[in-house]
Amino acid sequence: MESTLEERRQSETPRSEIVVARGLERTFGTGEAQVRALEGVDVAFERSRYTSIMGPSGSGKSTLMHILAGLDRPTAGTVEIDGVEITGLDDGELTELRRDKLGFVFQFFNLLPVLTAEENILLPLSIARRKPDREWVDLLIDRVGLDDRRTHRPSELSGGQQQRVAVARALVTKPAVLFADEPTGNLDSKSSDDVLRLLRAAVDEFDQTVVMVTHEPDAAAHGDRLIALRDGHLVHDAPPVSADAVIELLKTLA
Amino acid sequence: MLSLTFKNLWARKWRSIMTAIAVVFGIALVAGTYVLTDTTTQAFDEIFVKSNEGTDVAITARSEVDQEDGSTPSFSASYLKRVKRVDGVELAAGTVFSPGAILDRERDSTGGGFSPQFISSTLPERLESLDYVEGTVPAGPGQASLDKAAAERSDLGLGDVVTLVGTGKAEPFKLVGLTELGGASFGGTSIAQVTLPIAQRLTGKQGEFDQISVAAESGVSPEQLRDRISEVLPDDLRVETGTENAERNADDIREGLSFLTIALLAFAAIALFVGSFVIFNVFSITVAHRTREFGMLRTLGSSRNQILRTVLLESFIIGLVASVVGILVGLGLAQGLSAILAAVGAELPANALVVLPRTIIVSFLIGIGITMIASLIPAIRSTRVPPIAALSETVAAGGTSRVLLRGIVSAVLAVVGLALIAVVLIGGLSGGSAALKMGAGAVCVLVAISIFSPQLVRPAASAVGAPLERVGGLIGRLARENSQRNPSRTAVTAAALMIGLALVSFVTVFASGLSSSVDKVIEQNFVGELVIQNSGGFLDFPPKAVEAAGEVEGVEAASGQRYATALLDGKGTSISSIEPSTVAEVVTFDWNEGSDQSMTALQDDQVIISEGVADSQGAGAGDRISITSQKGESKEFEVTAVIAPGTLGLTGDLVVTQDTIGRFFGVDLDSSGLVKVADGADVDQVQQKIEDALKGPFPTVDVLNQQELKDSQQEQINTLLAMIYVLLALAVVVSLVGIVVTLILSIYERTRELGMLRAVGMSRRQIRRMVRYEAVITAVLGAIAGLVIGVIFAFLLGIPLEGDGFTLSYPVPVLVVILILTAVAGVIAAIYPARKASRLDILEAISYE
Repeated sequence: MESTLEERRQSETPRSEIVVARGLERTFGTGEAQVRALEGVDVAFERSRYTSIMGPSGSGKSTLMHILAGLDRPTAGTVEIDGVEITGLDDGELTELRRDKLGFVFQFFNLLPVLTAEENILLPLSIARRKPDREWVDLLIDRVGLDDRRTHRPSELSGGQQQRVAVARALVTKPAVLFADEPTGNLDSKSSDDVLRLLRAAVDEFDQTVVMVTHEPDAAAHGDRLIALRDGHLVHDAPPVSADAVIELLKTLA
Repeated sequence: MLSLTFKNLWARKWRSIMTAIAVVFGIALVAGTYVLTDTTTQAFDEIFVKSNEGTDVAITARSEVDQEDGSTPSFSASYLKRVKRVDGVELAAGTVFSPGAILDRERDSTGGGFSPQFISSTLPERLESLDYVEGTVPAGPGQASLDKAAAERSDLGLGDVVTLVGTGKAEPFKLVGLTELGGASFGGTSIAQVTLPIAQRLTGKQGEFDQISVAAESGVSPEQLRDRISEVLPDDLRVETGTENAERNADDIREGLSFLTIALLAFAAIALFVGSFVIFNVFSITVAHRTREFGMLRTLGSSRNQILRTVLLESFIIGLVASVVGILVGLGLAQGLSAILAAVGAELPANALVVLPRTIIVSFLIGIGITMIASLIPAIRSTRVPPIAALSETVAAGGTSRVLLRGIVSAVLAVVGLALIAVVLIGGLSGGSAALKMGAGAVCVLVAISIFSPQLVRPAASAVGAPLERVGGLIGRLARENSQRNPSRTAVTAAALMIGLALVSFVTVFASGLSSSVDKVIEQNFVGELVIQNSGGFLDFPPKAVEAAGEVEGVEAASGQRYATALLDGKGTSISSIEPSTVAEVVTFDWNEGSDQSMTALQDDQVIISEGVADSQGAGAGDRISITSQKGESKEFEVTAVIAPGTLGLTGDLVVTQDTIGRFFGVDLDSSGLVKVADGADVDQVQQKIEDALKGPFPTVDVLNQQELKDSQQEQINTLLAMIYVLLALAVVVSLVGIVVTLILSIYERTRELGMLRAVGMSRRQIRRMVRYEAVITAVLGAIAGLVIGVIFAFLLGIPLEGDGFTLSYPVPVLVVILILTAVAGVIAAIYPARKASRLDILEAISYE
């Protein structure tokens, strides 16, 4: 526990798998009310890939993502992010990890209403008191199509625009992994498409790694890889073929 | 609906508890005040009833005008013979009961600082109310008894020496008896008894009595005897039955205590006023949070009235619980207050705590009333929630801001308030109605500012937040933005604090003005170098002390002064005395008519008057005015000079000679003696010599130089100030509770946002800092507003006092310290909310809707 993140990173050999989870189990509650959300999941995510996690309600997909992102702790098992074992980290170290290595996009856009679009995008850097790389920020804002909305507050933006701000915010630190939790859950189809294409572009153009939980087949079809969970087990792991194929897959799971 | 109300309250129990706390403090002070004063009153009732046991008829002198020290005139002992001759008198005896000093072996006081001490004479056993629980009744010279409580306080026993000081030199006595008054408590008061001739000599009342006590023969009722006796006595003597006498004395005490009651209740009112802001805020926010719930109830068929009733019922229950807790805390507070009073030397007599039904009823009425009135507007707002709100995603921001309405209401209130204040400022400050108008005016202005303040929060918070943004960067920025997000909420929270701090800064500025004015008067008007004063707690001292000081080597002149209250045109007017032969050496004044020379030339039938008296009487030098003494005798005095305003009570409104005040106005003791040191003599050495000379015969006096005099005045002001601070602290604490609640509620609203901030890398520390900054911004907003208003009020009130020599001074460093302390208090208020915010479970927070 005394070693810093930096030391630990160096002690591990670099590999193409940026997130590695082994034997993940997670139970909620005790006794009669006990729910086993994950019952032993092994999964790894490679760099520069776009993975969708699907599954019916209660399959454990959200729990899996929360644990992978260090927002929740597994009952058993380990998670390594960029070579760092995170399950044993304390709150301060997890905070630092989230700040430096992770990006988040939530279903509810979760912007700060008191800040402008650009300030919201720069928020993770401001929190870390780091100077933004202007070129990168401008490129990002331009790429998410909000160049003329920089000084607008969230209340002056549409839902799609707000979520694009959230994507830009998640990318501004060039994180090791970007986690997206139902990012299109609250959007119309046009805006959903914009957001999904942005996430795709993040992988293709900016070499980012994206892990997305979704229940929308269209969304899942944008990914390089589709993982499906059912009753806490990993039941499918393959590249997605088409939205229709995804629908078929979901039917078999339900 | 009832069970729903209880469930709602329970579901939000901490919020309900915090709301209740906002009222508990005020109620506790209300209940505590009543319990304290009722307990004291009852103890005094007991004292007076017991001290009249065995006395069927009591004869005392009437007092035409109340003296500040509560003393009554004595009367000639020759009346005793007349009384004895009245048919039906079994036994009659005269007695002396006079303020004096009772000192222990170390010549320290046997009582607290402000607790009176009395020298009294023994009575025949039938009339004597004191029980001798140890030893014997003093029977001759050199013997004295003391009340047992005082003896125990000073660790005195039979055979020990006590020193009694009346109007002459201190005299030692052997303690031969210890007394009790049937188990009644005297508080810090001590009573010593000696035989009648000695008591008369000690108190300078040779040939006089303070009271004649009469026992009736069997078969003669006290009333019959009273009527018979009053026929043979002049009108200036009051003849009462023992019971009547006890009741009258008790009433006097009650009247005296009513000041304490009113003062304490005023502080309770302030705390409750502040508390009502907190309640208003909590209910406003809660109603906003429950918008969807109310909408749902409306869709299910609840009427507006039912919604109104649920919310009001909740506030009723909170008020009820707060009152119960407040009364219980009040019982403890009564003891606390009494301990504070005892600590400053004014221990009140007390037996068991007295809780009258009135105390309970008033506490409940106020507690429930304030809570319900404060929640009325939010409750009405809750009825405006349309059924569709049940379906809406967003939680209403709460607090619709109708700028125009706010503007008009606050303008009207401000005008009314300022008008009330102006009336007082122009019309003069005397009288209770002036204080009431002033208070009402201040309340109007404060409420006006509170109502309008949401409009001021945005710019003000930007200004206050600017330094925090510089220091804290993003964190400071977010804190500032958060404080501006819901201006009316921040405004109400800050306004609650503003009220407390306005009063704090008002009394601070005023007290500072008072002490610098006192300093100025001492510097400008007091030519002498030294002052002889009573040492802490003793009211006045024998004039022989000043005489003795005048004979000390190196003293050019020593001049005594006395103070009393006389009647002028039926109004109590302060009167003081000077010693014409020496006064010019020790003081100097500005004169409208006459000069310092007028003091030297003052004759026994002449008077110097203040500008105020000159104006009200239309009198000037050469005119004659009639002044009435406490005994009711009137006499014409020739006005020889008019003193210019600005002596700040160094003289009374009327100034006569020492002889006159002693003979005609019956004031035997000096209040102070001013000393002029001879040219070339060393002041410190002379001071030491005077001290040495006075120590033995006059142990109750101190000799102070000018600086020490200033310090002692300063100390008195500070003691009073400290007590006011303690009482105002209640209101400030209530407003801090307001900050805590508001922060917690705001955090609850921003749960998801906080979760997001944590998710994108904000540390717990940063979250805590953000909450803390927000609290500091709110606190500093309230503090600055309060300080500004307090200073303005002090300035306004200072204007009419300027004529009396009062000049304001602004203790900037103290005000800055208050500002800093308030910011620190904000940080402390934020501890719990900040912890709560930083401990939010990120997962729950982001999935929270």
